[in-house]
Amino acid sequence: MVRLTIDGKEVEVPEGTNVIEAARRLGIEVPYYCYHPGLSIAGQCRLCMVELGNNPRPQIACNTQVTEGMVVRTDTSKVLETRQSIMEFHLINHPLDCPVCDQAGECWLQIYYMKHGLYEPRMVDEKVHKPKAVPLGPHVILDAERCILCSRCVRFCDEITGTGELGIFQRGDHSEIGLFPGKELANPYSANVIDICPVGALTDRDFRFAVRVWYLDTARSICPGCSRGCNIEVHYNLRRPHHNQGRRVARLKPRYHAEVNRWWICDAGRYGYKFVDDPSRLVSPSRGRGDAAVEIGWDEIIPVIAGQLRRYRPEEMGVLASPKMANEDLFLLKRLVDHLGLAHVDFSVPPRHPGDEDNLLIRADKNPNTCGAELVGLGPREGVGHGGARGILRAAREGRIKCLWVFHHDLLASAWPEEEIREALRTLECLIFQGSNANRVSAAAHYVLPSATWVEREGTFTNFEGRVQRFWRAVEPLGASLADWEILGRIGAALGLGPQPVRAEECFKALAAAVPAFAGLSYGELRDTGKVVSA
Amino acid sequence: MSALGAVSVQFTREQLAEVRRLQALYPDKRAALLPVLHLAQEAFGHISLEAEEYAAGLFDLSPAHVHEVVTFYSLFFREPRGRHVISVCHNLTCHLLGAQRVLTHLKKRLGVDVGGTTPDGGVTLLSVECLCACEMAPMMQVNDRYEGNLTPEKVDRILAELR
Repeated sequence: MVRLTIDGKEVEVPEGTNVIEAARRLGIEVPYYCYHPGLSIAGQCRLCMVELGNNPRPQIACNTQVTEGMVVRTDTSKVLETRQSIMEFHLINHPLDCPVCDQAGECWLQIYYMKHGLYEPRMVDEKVHKPKAVPLGPHVILDAERCILCSRCVRFCDEITGTGELGIFQRGDHSEIGLFPGKELANPYSANVIDICPVGALTDRDFRFAVRVWYLDTARSICPGCSRGCNIEVHYNLRRPHHNQGRRVARLKPRYHAEVNRWWICDAGRYGYKFVDDPSRLVSPSRGRGDAAVEIGWDEIIPVIAGQLRRYRPEEMGVLASPKMANEDLFLLKRLVDHLGLAHVDFSVPPRHPGDEDNLLIRADKNPNTCGAELVGLGPREGVGHGGARGILRAAREGRIKCLWVFHHDLLASAWPEEEIREALRTLECLIFQGSNANRVSAAAHYVLPSATWVEREGTFTNFEGRVQRFWRAVEPLGASLADWEILGRIGAALGLGPQPVRAEECFKALAAAVPAFAGLSYGELRDTGKVVSA
Repeated sequence: MSALGAVSVQFTREQLAEVRRLQALYPDKRAALLPVLHLAQEAFGHISLEAEEYAAGLFDLSPAHVHEVVTFYSLFFREPRGRHVISVCHNLTCHLLGAQRVLTHLKKRLGVDVGGTTPDGGVTLLSVECLCACEMAPMMQVNDRYEGNLTPEKVDRILAELR
């Protein structure tokens, strides 16, 4: 550990820490643009100047490692004047188009100008003009005039993805970031450059002009796009419901987790939330197939479902749970399955095309909670010999299984032959579909139970390494949809299982009490970073 | 090598040996990028995007990073240039002593603008910053040679020698 003094306050930090991070420990903000804790040091923006000891000139804090007894000042008039001058330099060729800039409200040029701006601009010359509104790839759009050449995006592509698409071309005041002519910024993590761009140079083609950022609210969440379980923020807009065609979820942003995803998420996860506000959402329970479907209320459908589950003998019933369901849902389903004595239970349905995978974040298993489903015990049981989900479907085709309860899966998008599935669905006497969005299974179902999506409820996912992580509710469930655990609780109550949980936290508590892997865990215990269970 | 004809971007065996020699001179072989780009310009006449990608391959760099270097330096030609390159200094001393008159005369005689190349591929005309020869202002560089104390008549004589 190294002991130093910053603005008269003592602090002890590990060796190798730079002055920006050391000051952060004391709650002292050293402003910067180019520094990013996840990238190499560039020393490009010069904004983080501080005074060191008796050194006559200020130096950059990002590239200065702490030393024993170091004396740093971040609050002297020399430092403040330097910041003001640097800000003036950064803004010489900046178009000052904040009213039409998507970054406005979360722009570090705006934020630092408020603190360190020179409010009497001295620039009288024509500004240098550069390319504007240039799409760099499927997700990112560039305004080179707004760029302050911090090079974070360039370093991200060099150091994190190793794809090296971006560079700084030309020189002097004509320098601009760009792609090698004819190339695209299309790596699987490309949109992270939007997050790390401190200004409005790189903006999101998907989010652009959708909602002003000051209308957005934030909820902590977990990406459901694969088994990595990246920590994210859900940015949603309820204050201006007429913006963005009424879509409530406006964007997903990565949330730092040291051991899961650091500062990053993949593009597939970032843009994978569109189903939440999609017209395909199921918003009311219904009975009857296809055109004959009639929307009914929960009070009406719950006793009907309970009646159907009682009507068939256990060996005539099958359940296809989903690894997209939260631990809370899976546990209540497991209780129900055990109560009914069902053996034909599985959750795993292979996708038609195997998922892509890499060494950074993306996992081939595109489900957020496969590990949870396994731990709760919804996989095929040893010795029962029904051959898992495919065996259940075969039994349905052969008329041995008459009632099937499918959660979320679009079985027709699975690796199995479509005709095989269609025949199974046709042959069933009673097909119950529970899920958030309509698909070809819900279209064939006799009963549809609409689930809330993950942003509309609380819960936990267990990622591929057994890390149990919480996600929080951002928006209300759409229409009459309910969290899966809530639907399962109501059905459980109708089946006489006794009092059911009224909050997700209670489900988790019961899960922790019943499943050894989760023993001792609680929402309070999980905190923000989650806990790894022994799988 | 023809300036305007198609060139295939590929070093000879000897040139590749030179690339390897240059790369071995530095702890980080990337440092040899500049001399290798000069070699490429000599070999291919100018540095096309294709040449940048080729050089990137020789250095395990992304083409974007080679493009950074090529666009930074003004002595790399990204378009085919003429057999002769005339660079007229337009900096302070030359400017005060009549660089504009020299440049205007050259533009008229060659029939091209600054940055242009005569249609026969003979001469490329450039206007550049100080070439460190103020004592002979107004001056210009003709290929590897400095020509100073220029007048329109002297420029005409120089052009006649070039043809």
